[in-house]
Amino acid sequence: MTTGIDQKRVAMVIGSGGVKCAAALGLWKTLQQAEIGVSMAVGSSGGSLYAAVIALGYDIQVAQSMTIDFWTSDLMEGYTSNLRAALSGEERFTEFSGLINDQQVYERLANVFGQHTFADTHCPLYIVSTDLYSGESVVHSAGPIIDAVRASIAIPMIFPPWQAGGRWLVDGAVSDPLPIDVAIKEGGETIVAMGFELPIRSRMHSYAAVTGHFNSIYMNNILKATFAFHNLAHHAEVIAILPEFERDIWSFDSNMIPYVIEEGTRAAEKELPYIRRLLTIG
Amino acid sequence: MLAIKPYRPLEGKRLALVIGSGAVKCAAALGLWKVLSQAGIEIDLLVGCSGGSLFAATMALGMDVDECIEKTQRLWNRKVTEKRDMTSLLRAALPRVFNFNERFGMIDDQAMVQNLRSVFGEQTFEDTRTPLYVVATDFHSGEQLVLSKGRLVDALRASISIPFIWPPWPVDDRLLIDGSASNPMPVDVAIKDGVEIILAMGFESSYPRSVSSISRFAFHVNSIMTNNLLKANFAFHNLAHHAEIIAIIPEFEQPVGLFDTSKFPYVIEQGERAMQEQLPYLNRLLAAESSQVK
Repeated sequence: MTTGIDQKRVAMVIGSGGVKCAAALGLWKTLQQAEIGVSMAVGSSGGSLYAAVIALGYDIQVAQSMTIDFWTSDLMEGYTSNLRAALSGEERFTEFSGLINDQQVYERLANVFGQHTFADTHCPLYIVSTDLYSGESVVHSAGPIIDAVRASIAIPMIFPPWQAGGRWLVDGAVSDPLPIDVAIKEGGETIVAMGFELPIRSRMHSYAAVTGHFNSIYMNNILKATFAFHNLAHHAEVIAILPEFERDIWSFDSNMIPYVIEEGTRAAEKELPYIRRLLTIG
Repeated sequence: MLAIKPYRPLEGKRLALVIGSGAVKCAAALGLWKVLSQAGIEIDLLVGCSGGSLFAATMALGMDVDECIEKTQRLWNRKVTEKRDMTSLLRAALPRVFNFNERFGMIDDQAMVQNLRSVFGEQTFEDTRTPLYVVATDFHSGEQLVLSKGRLVDALRASISIPFIWPPWPVDDRLLIDGSASNPMPVDVAIKDGVEIILAMGFESSYPRSVSSISRFAFHVNSIMTNNLLKANFAFHNLAHHAEIIAIIPEFEQPVGLFDTSKFPYVIEQGERAMQEQLPYLNRLLAAESSQVK
């Protein structure tokens, strides 16, 4: 088997995890410094934002400042009053509803991705969402990137589902929170998968908190089960990177982003010698 | 050289029945049981999750098929779901005023608890004739918890705490919810117990046709996640372990809703049919020489 610069590439898989997904930028930085390329990028939910940014080849500094502008708490404007209206029946809540006005999210995504399509990426990009009706995972690899990312981050009940390609789609984390299977199917040989467990609350003071908590329990259990299966069933090399956060990270905590990226770097550096060894052995 | 594990009893192989979550659909286990009884096949271990735990418990206590049908119909009927929990609903709408906490459910669980008490009384796991495990989920950590001690009423009530429908239930010092949030068809519990053959009856949750309220939306998303968890767990356990697992997945052409107890006879019949199909294979496994199983 030949070794060479061409082969010094890994498939990057970035799982769901809201703001924590920014840790992928730390991983990416570490790979760049080690002169390891990215052969494909796969993302689910919050991870899709970073997979797309990486596949489009944005500068890391630019990606970092875009991230800080993206996850701000004003995204959640109107949430509490909409929740009250939905619970009391004042507002009708259907399968197409969400508790926040998603126009702002869409505009922010448009700022980041503009008119870019999957054809504009430097390496293949795959984004995972979930079909709202069948519950199955959907892999996006063509069309406007903004559609795929918007569908993939449609956190149930918070962001309304998104229609693309004639289907109604929700959060990729509902079916495939760490889509290693997509990288395997697309021929990834050395797969670096960064995943996150969702935060677990100790006290819950609102319906929304309980709902979020149930989602976290399910998604964490799906994450563990799918990871156990893919790890066992497939023979691609999967290097799991699970950054540890000593501080609590909640969604829309954008001032935590530098810390999150730092932890991503730290976790990636720990695995770097092993990644290097795999790539030189071929 | 033959490697015979020491726990294998001389008289033959042990058979476990795992009944997964699926509300009313879980009654299909009674159909399965009818087929086994007629064929003279005994179950050595019962594992139940969520709705499945109710049926596993009645079987484990040694009731016959007809008695089980009668008891479970008493447990699960329209009455247990008709009373909404107004306090919980008010707390959800106005959390500060009504002091919302995590013990939230849309339906008043008093009728369900009373029914459980009338069927199981003060009986404990020690009173079962067949060993029984009931699967629930720790509400705070999200991890699976296997119950095999204490009052049956507590274990069952915990295991059926369907998110958003019935509030969590405390057992010892833990708050527990529906087993389906961690392991909707817990074949691994039977595997760990060391049985040789596992009948795994599981159900996919069906989705409502349309979503008209936020709680229905939440419920819909939970069903999707339960189904994805079911598939992922089963794929893993099936691949990782070498016990014989026979999946019995009844098919329902008629829609069976969460509380559609009028469908009991139909559901039982479908369970019977699904088991009939697998009976020749089960018989073959039971008849095979122990020494052939390495």
